[in-house]
Amino acid sequence: MPSRLSAQAIRELERRLGKEQVLHETEDLHTYGYDATPELKSLPDVVLFPRTAEEVAYVVEFANQNGLPLSPRGSGTGLSGGSIPAEGGVVAVMTRMNRILEIDEENLTATVEPGVITLDLASAVAARGLFYPPDPGSQKVSTIAGNVAENAGGLRGLKYGVTRDYVMALEAVLMDGSHLMTGGKAVKDVAGYSFRDLLVGSEGTLGIVTKVTVSLIPPPKAKKTMVAYFKDVATAGQAVSEIVAAKIIPATLEILDNTTINAIEDYVDIGLPREMQGLLLVEVDGHPAEVEEEAAEIHEVLQRVGADTIRIAQTDEEAEDLTAARRTALSALARVSPTTILEDSTVPRSELASTFNEIARLTKKYQLTVGTFGHAGDGNLHPTALTDERNTEEITRVHAFFSELYDHVLAVGGTVSGEHGIGMAKVGYLERQIGSGGVKVMRRIKNAFDPDGRLNPGKMFIPEDPGNGRA
Amino acid sequence: MRSEPRYTKRDAEQAIHKPGERLGNFLPEDAPSYEDILQCMRCGFCLPHCPTFAITNRERSSPRGRAQLAKAVAQGELELSEAVCYEGFFCLDCRACTTVCPAGVKVGPIMEHVRAQSRNEVHPLPPGWRQFREFLLEYMLPNHDRLEDSMLAARLYQRLGVQWMVRNSHLLELAPGTLGETAEKMDGMLPKLEPPLRNRVPELVKARGEKRGTVAYFIGCIMNLMYPEVSRATINTLAHQGFDVVIPKSAKCCGAPHLTEGDRETARQLGEHNVETFLRWDLDAIVTDCAGCGAALKEYEELLEGRMDERYLHEFRSRIRDVSEFLVGAGMRTEDLKPVDMTITYHDPCHLAHAQGIAKEPRQLIEAIPGLKLVEMFESNWCCGSGANWGLLHPEESEQVLDRKMANVVKTEADAVVTLNPGCHMQLAWGVRRSGLDQKAYHLMELVGRSLPEESVPPAS
Ligand SMILES: Cc1cc2nc3c(=O)[nH]c(=O)nc-3n(C[C@H](O)[C@H](O)[C@H](O)COP(=O)(O)OP(=O)(O)OC[C@H]3O[C@@H](n4cnc5c(N)ncnc54)[C@H](O)[C@@H]3O)c2cc1C
Ligand code: SF4
Ligand code: SF4
Repeated sequence: MPSRLSAQAIRELERRLGKEQVLHETEDLHTYGYDATPELKSLPDVVLFPRTAEEVAYVVEFANQNGLPLSPRGSGTGLSGGSIPAEGGVVAVMTRMNRILEIDEENLTATVEPGVITLDLASAVAARGLFYPPDPGSQKVSTIAGNVAENAGGLRGLKYGVTRDYVMALEAVLMDGSHLMTGGKAVKDVAGYSFRDLLVGSEGTLGIVTKVTVSLIPPPKAKKTMVAYFKDVATAGQAVSEIVAAKIIPATLEILDNTTINAIEDYVDIGLPREMQGLLLVEVDGHPAEVEEEAAEIHEVLQRVGADTIRIAQTDEEAEDLTAARRTALSALARVSPTTILEDSTVPRSELASTFNEIARLTKKYQLTVGTFGHAGDGNLHPTALTDERNTEEITRVHAFFSELYDHVLAVGGTVSGEHGIGMAKVGYLERQIGSGGVKVMRRIKNAFDPDGRLNPGKMFIPEDPGNGRA
Repeated sequence: MRSEPRYTKRDAEQAIHKPGERLGNFLPEDAPSYEDILQCMRCGFCLPHCPTFAITNRERSSPRGRAQLAKAVAQGELELSEAVCYEGFFCLDCRACTTVCPAGVKVGPIMEHVRAQSRNEVHPLPPGWRQFREFLLEYMLPNHDRLEDSMLAARLYQRLGVQWMVRNSHLLELAPGTLGETAEKMDGMLPKLEPPLRNRVPELVKARGEKRGTVAYFIGCIMNLMYPEVSRATINTLAHQGFDVVIPKSAKCCGAPHLTEGDRETARQLGEHNVETFLRWDLDAIVTDCAGCGAALKEYEELLEGRMDERYLHEFRSRIRDVSEFLVGAGMRTEDLKPVDMTITYHDPCHLAHAQGIAKEPRQLIEAIPGLKLVEMFESNWCCGSGANWGLLHPEESEQVLDRKMANVVKTEADAVVTLNPGCHMQLAWGVRRSGLDQKAYHLMELVGRSLPEESVPPAS
């Protein structure tokens, strides 16, 4: 489908933004109509690359004048369809605003443009001896604003928190064309509502972020890595709870199930014990003495709960070897079948074991192949259905599987999304979790920012619902 | 204007493709594999590794974008349009995306099929280019004798070399004049034109010292014509290392240039011929010092699937070795090597590091040569912008890719940049000259050859 914009409108855009910043050929529309979420695709009418906050304001004005929906986009690695132009219109790609503006070593902050790649930020501050902890699995590709908009987590969430915990200040362009500044470098700030906190996790539905200031910390001095194997997953889940109950907060506490272990062995053959039902990867970091002590304590806990085998890395190379399994988990699973549907259910830590049991029960019930790995320390699991989008019948079973799994997740006090967001993929689930009252309040907030429902429609709220975004 | 909802959850049923059936808007012949296309999960992990995306920041010129364009064509949502075919040719086929792709998607080969599709006269190339291409691909390259006898070396040299450099450097614009004049000016930049090696060597070069086995040397067209001295060094090294070296006279082009141009049929004919030719000998390995040839030979199994007996194909495949892979695997005899005192940096050819997964062995080979000292450059496995004829088709972009590479080369302050592929060799040599650097560009085997105490095949003059 070619762009529905008139040639004149395109010319005007090219005049204002420069030819290179405007894409409208059919092939371009096809390649900005998806993110990493399986099954979803919807084409925009035009793709724009603003390079300054002023150009962002112009893009907003253009969308308003032409009555077009507008969806901000980072690198399109989202796993809930957040950047997909559900109703067509304008996609504003933020990746050409990618300068690191300042690293402030006195205030321990970094200020960057929205399209800076997460890892580029982390590497730049590391070069100054500082540490930006949030490390989503997609950090080599994702943008900082994409992280802010999804409140992205990562492997270090348990000890260091998620993106929200590091956002100090934001600048954004709102749909009325105004520039909002919220937060600052001051560590404390209680002046008025915290718009900053509202924008974090807002999935591009409230405003377009044009500048981000994050806080930094000194990096840990030492690290210790270990791996434990378990004969059943429930014991692995119990180990997670007991480590934390022993008042140790590891930097990383990741879990892999038996399907994942076997997929990894099929793929790289690194000598993992195929019969084991669970693998825990634990990393502690901090002061060297503290790290040794904590590692010893964790070893003790693992033995007490009945881990089958425990391996502690003595050198950096051994640590690399031990993390290899976790690093290859996604690659291994992704190769098993054409379509990989990765979910994001999150439960209180104490419910990990029950959730693994439920996953096992439902996998059998719906006759699927599901590999589960995830951030065990955060209770955040990624049950991953290995399927084929051409097989509609199986896909129906996959959706039924996840729907029933979320019944369990919600019943035990968990959430339908720990880090990937609601986007388009989970619109139906939000109300199940927060109730219709909660959704109504969210709609009113959305309405206050975007009365015409033009900014990233079709996200968060059920699209065909009358008054979408307009309360 | 209020947009209508365009949100479509695809009706997957429509998309079921049965073998032998036409795949969406692809032409029936040589369509890419639907399985390969569907394997892409759009995670975007490939984005930071793609040279064309780095230049354009345009999704359709990224691996993910290309896979999704192919998917849209396969699902009938998009025509096999000029832009789709353009992206097929704009892909460097460098395979950097495949190295990092969690799902193992091979975007390069998918794009090779798109090229084949566009060759099937949907979007014909400019007339001049087409004639030259057909002349070269169908008449000349498949036949070494024709290549050599017709003095084509010189012409190919002009066409591929000079024209390429002229276009690259925009010298034509800067210093208007005939191509001939420019060619003269450029002459200093080209490797010295030696007579092709193939007719100067016997079909069997005997092992020196204690014999360890028999190998065949696969002599690539470009190596043979442009860098015969490198080929000579490779043969000498293999002999010095205790291997009888067979250089089959009737071997033909590996087919890589044809695949690049989308001419899969000629590539298949060449492939069949080569498999038959080499399997006539009792060989421990078939060795090549051209990464592009190596990659193509290693992919014969896929190219010739259904055309030849699987067992032959498998046997052939199991013998193909890059020269570094082979020498390191066999264990280098280093006792009598002469020192080659030089600090070098190594550029990983895409078709070695990404297409064949070989990155350790060249470094181990460097380490085995006394005197050679390796300084790693940043992004050593980032493409140099040569990509077979890519530099010809996309001169400006090729410059940009080369700039990035040269900046990294310069930072190492090494005496020379070495590599293991003639295309990269030529491009790097040009990069060095163009930037007016003191550094030199070598094929690694040239330096290995210098460390040998004696030569089995003497130089031409
Ligand atoms: C293999 C893989 C692993 C992943 N691992 C993790 C993980 O460990 N943890 C995790 O949390 N997530 C993970 N993700 C999900 C995804 O990478 C994150 O959600 C990431 O934050 C998205 O960043 P992006 O730049 O790609 O944003 P996009 O996908 O382009 O957009 C995401 C959302 O941000 C909005 N947005 C983008 N830029 C702006 C802006 N300037 N202003 C306002 N809104 C904006 C978009 O509208 C959209 O709603 C993973 C994804 C993949 C494919
Ligand atoms: S080609 Fe591979 S790395 Fe790139 S988006 Fe597709 S699956 Fe991901
Ligand atoms: S083969 Fe190279 S140029 Fe082609 S899509 Fe992959 S990374 Fe990009």
